[in-house]
Amino acid sequence: MPRAIWSGSISFGLVNIPVKLYSAVSRKTVHFNQLDSRTNSRIKQKRVSAQTGEDVPYDQIVKGYELASGAYVVVTDDELSALDPKALRTIDIDEFVDLAEIDPMFYDAPYYLAPDRAPKPYLLLAEAMCKTNKVGVARFVMRTKQYLAAVRSMDGHLVLSTMVYADEINDPSSIPELAELAGIELSDKEMVMAEQLIDSLAADFEPDKFHDTYREAVLELIDRKASGQQLVAPAAAAEPDKVVDLMAALEASVAAAKEARKRHPTAGNGTAGEPTVVEATAADGTTAEETAGEGAEGHSGTAPGPQGPEPEAKSA
Amino acid sequence: MAEATSTTVHIEGRRLTLTNLGKLMYPEASFTKGEVIDYYARIAPVMLAHLGDRCVTFVRYPDGVQGKSFFEKRCPGHRPDWVRTALGRGDRRARTAADRSGTGGIDYCVLSDVPSIVWAANLAAIEMHTPMARAAKMDIPTMAVFDLDPGAPAAMRECAEVALHLREALGSLDLELFPKTSGSKGLQVYLPLNADHDRDHVRSFALAVAQLMEKQHPNLVLTTMAKDLRVGKVFIDWSQNAVFKTTVCAYSLRARSRPTVSTPVTWEEVEAAADGAPLSFEAPTVIERVAGMGDLFAPAATLVQHLPPAA
Repeated sequence: MPRAIWSGSISFGLVNIPVKLYSAVSRKTVHFNQLDSRTNSRIKQKRVSAQTGEDVPYDQIVKGYELASGAYVVVTDDELSALDPKALRTIDIDEFVDLAEIDPMFYDAPYYLAPDRAPKPYLLLAEAMCKTNKVGVARFVMRTKQYLAAVRSMDGHLVLSTMVYADEINDPSSIPELAELAGIELSDKEMVMAEQLIDSLAADFEPDKFHDTYREAVLELIDRKASGQQLVAPAAAAEPDKVVDLMAALEASVAAAKEARKRHPTAGNGTAGEPTVVEATAADGTTAEETAGEGAEGHSGTAPGPQGPEPEAKSA
Repeated sequence: MAEATSTTVHIEGRRLTLTNLGKLMYPEASFTKGEVIDYYARIAPVMLAHLGDRCVTFVRYPDGVQGKSFFEKRCPGHRPDWVRTALGRGDRRARTAADRSGTGGIDYCVLSDVPSIVWAANLAAIEMHTPMARAAKMDIPTMAVFDLDPGAPAAMRECAEVALHLREALGSLDLELFPKTSGSKGLQVYLPLNADHDRDHVRSFALAVAQLMEKQHPNLVLTTMAKDLRVGKVFIDWSQNAVFKTTVCAYSLRARSRPTVSTPVTWEEVEAAADGAPLSFEAPTVIERVAGMGDLFAPAATLVQHLPPAA
């Protein structure tokens, strides 16, 4: 069950409606960890002084605002917290506007508003906003940041979308290619053709049709690589009638190998197959020489981790 | 290149999916991954005595012994839930303050049953290396090892000579030694302890013995790592007894051109090797030897011997 990330009340006029805020979306971007390709160990970030290269302890790190190149004003956490917007636990609806008036560009992140112990006034507001087709423009504070938000009614409940502030939207004329469009003329014929083309592709918006195919492809790739060495088939996925006795399976495989050797009897009198890389570090930083017996022979290098059919799964 | 196939098998009530059984792991010997797993499945019942309760370090060769390899100490996160793990020693050379504070341990695999060994073999963990101590008592080595590593033109013959000198020296202290091939070029001579000697005691004893050998046989024995001094001599690597070090486990395959095994041998075989007889065994032979001779290395896990008191 999702957890509420904020609770408070919607406030407009003299009305107060207690609500909780839930995230309306779960981002499904595939996250990767950075690894050292030679050892598959995790990469760690270090905080070092740009001047001396030495480690900077956490308690010595302060915030600085760059005034001019190299000139900083240091601002302490105490000073900042004194400025924090007062965490009034209200979503203040200042006005109601028509939905079409708000350009989608303003919408940032969507949340569900759920009633907090008082469902009736919540439902009343949701239904009334639905009937009037109005959107409440509101302000509220969450985690020390003041947000602009749109509150609207959808399928009998309320949703809130945080919005970007107008001064956060870049001026399109600052993009030269867009500014140059002003001087171009279009003929009526061209315009008709373009409209016809659009009409021919017109459809109802069905969001279910669209998937993040890149994410799906990445997940499938990971799944395939992981299963290359995943040894325990989930019980449900394995077909019982295909499970064979270990020795029976191996005997067939060994017999096949012996048969292959008979066909190529010359195999097998070469020189030692020393691994290609000798100096390397194990996943935990131990050198090859330390780890294995006969380290002095330099017999076992480590190398860019596993490629091929038995890839290394990330350990996190 | 063998086709990518997988076979789901039952072994001791566990279900495993084995992959790419036809893949050539030792191309020069035409020895396949199926044969590697077959070897480990057959040797597992005797290997368990030496491997089963220790943190294991894998040397994995996903593309065969001629391909790239990597050490794996941390037990893979995708292991089946029945593969045991134990918190073991991390890196001696801790790189950060957090590591140095002592919390930087590693969860090692502990291959405590046949299915676990087969699982590791299927990961192309061709070599399995173990420390001198069991996982339950990391500071108490159950044995000491003298790793005899020949510097060309010295070879197995010289290693066997040194092993016989070691046997004689420690025999005078009523301590029995057990030799095995490294599976590579050298010999490894083990001193079972199975007593509560701490690691510093064991390590200093091993160093003293090695230095005694060097003093008695200066033209044959070397106790320093420097490779350029090793020409024609045998390096006694006593430092393998350090707690953070591992040595190839008895019955582990080695990633050489042919599927040689770190094979326990008899002292008669070592004597013959000192006379020039070859002393190297490949996986199928090792299975036959164990069937006929039993586990020559069994005393390493059980024989209780006490070192002279530390000075």
